Amino acid sequence: MSEGMTTEQIYMTPTPVRIWHWLNALGIVTLCITGIQIRFPEYANIFGTYKAAIKLHDVAGVTVSISFFLWIFYYLFVARSLVKLYVPNVEDIKRGLFTQAFFYFFYYFLGEKNPHTVSLDNKFNAIQKMSYLLIMFLFLPLVIASGLLLMNIAPLRGWIIMIGGIKFLVDAHYLIACSFFAFLCVHIYMATLGHTPFSHLRQMWTGWEEMESHPH
Amino acid sequence: MKWFLVLPTAALLSILMAPAADAAANDCHTCHSKKTIMNQGIHLYIDPLKYELTTHARIGCVSCHDNVTKRHPGDKIRPSRAKCQDCHAAVSAEYNQSMHGKYADCTDCHKPHAVKPLLAVSGRDINIQCAKCHEYAKTVKNHSKWLPQATLHIDALPCITCHTGSKNYVISMYMVKSVSGSSMGGVALASYEDLLPFLSTGEKVATLIDGDGDGAISLSELKKFNTSGKYRSLSLLGTMMPEVVTHNYEILDNRRDCTFCHASGPNAQQASDIAFPQQDGSYSRTPVEKGAILDILYGTPDFYMTGFTRNNTLSIIGALIAAGGLLVPILHGTLRFLTRNRRKEQ
Repeated sequence: MSEGMTTEQIYMTPTPVRIWHWLNALGIVTLCITGIQIRFPEYANIFGTYKAAIKLHDVAGVTVSISFFLWIFYYLFVARSLVKLYVPNVEDIKRGLFTQAFFYFFYYFLGEKNPHTVSLDNKFNAIQKMSYLLIMFLFLPLVIASGLLLMNIAPLRGWIIMIGGIKFLVDAHYLIACSFFAFLCVHIYMATLGHTPFSHLRQMWTGWEEMESHPH
Repeated sequence: MKWFLVLPTAALLSILMAPAADAAANDCHTCHSKKTIMNQGIHLYIDPLKYELTTHARIGCVSCHDNVTKRHPGDKIRPSRAKCQDCHAAVSAEYNQSMHGKYADCTDCHKPHAVKPLLAVSGRDINIQCAKCHEYAKTVKNHSKWLPQATLHIDALPCITCHTGSKNYVISMYMVKSVSGSSMGGVALASYEDLLPFLSTGEKVATLIDGDGDGAISLSELKKFNTSGKYRSLSLLGTMMPEVVTHNYEILDNRRDCTFCHASGPNAQQASDIAFPQQDGSYSRTPVEKGAILDILYGTPDFYMTGFTRNNTLSIIGALIAAGGLLVPILHGTLRFLTRNRRKEQ
């Protein structure tokens, strides 16, 4: 820690969001692992039987879907901070994205300070906002919708044909799932770039974030 | 008779008897193909179109009803009926030993005057026979106890694919049309009449896809069919027909293992055909170019079997996306480790 700096604790993540986050994390990891067995059954037999993998995949998919709608409900109607926290503003798009990218991929290695200061009202930097927006409002709804259709092929065959066929649906589901895995890798790694390698992780578990602050 | 006379005599007899069989059949059809005969008993009517498709038509009526005389029906002699096992002894023995044998006779499933070879029926036709005893809703309910997406499996597969002993399967596609409120979720099996509006006079149904009429469907012909706005209301669904027909109906434990079908890998059983409905109610199969099942978008957009018909190119693209995600922590983490002292200084 730099000389003259102290740490302070901020209650950053309320309990409902933390419950959602870990439920979602468990669900997505389960979906990735079971998904590998479902697509490559002759190479991967992780859960004993193919049926077990499919059942678990379905349960995890439904859990993630329900938790997604609870998440939206919480941020829209309880916390009422969905737009403020997750939608990038003009400044974020014009400068924030580039500044933050330069920091992560260049200035960080020079030891410079993160240009984004975390606060209760400005929890995420521009890159975080943009990636969470894409993940939560594009990729997750798409993977949920395609998954629900694939769980109900017989009754929804007409819709599936209208969309472009089951093969298009399956392949879109698979590619989005691969993107989720890629996001997961980056997300977990970025979580170690906090004040200490575990400060963000601890924050997501306890709700309290330990931050550097200048003494008044 | 001298030995050198036996063969010519046999040949002469067979030549003479074949038209006789035809003539006898024609005699029979004179009355039995008229619907008015149903007044004396529904079973007396023989649909000539259906009968002509059967193998039995080749041997003629009197081969099975051999006591019929020229004075029939005036002689009041009840026509004899041959037993199926008289000709189909091996099949009959196999069937009688199966768990099905004591519950249904051959004629409960195969009407001798309308029976068609396997290649001339669709999977749905077969399941209609089964559903005479095995009620659809009950069958779905029973299978749901252990089979994920039971409705989908039962709609998509002929029962005999899992309940007889064929080791290999053939992917067979069939045409469906869009309809609202169907039991198949917005589609229904397309009949010959449904396809007629898409054909010019005298055109064969297969030419809907087999544009050059060479008796084989190429990937480009499939793509043309799948992307043409003209055929928007038609789609191809797929099923797996047993390669060999056996009559040893049983509950096979290995079929309860999903990997029996789903883990065959994308390189297995890529041969497929399309069953086109014909005017006489039968189906005619046209082979499809190898690889159509694995084509990403245009080969068979509405046929996918999890695990089994995945596309390898797409699997690699997905793996590259995942690897890209893994590379970020690896590369960034390496640079982070190498520059750790600089950050401490700051």
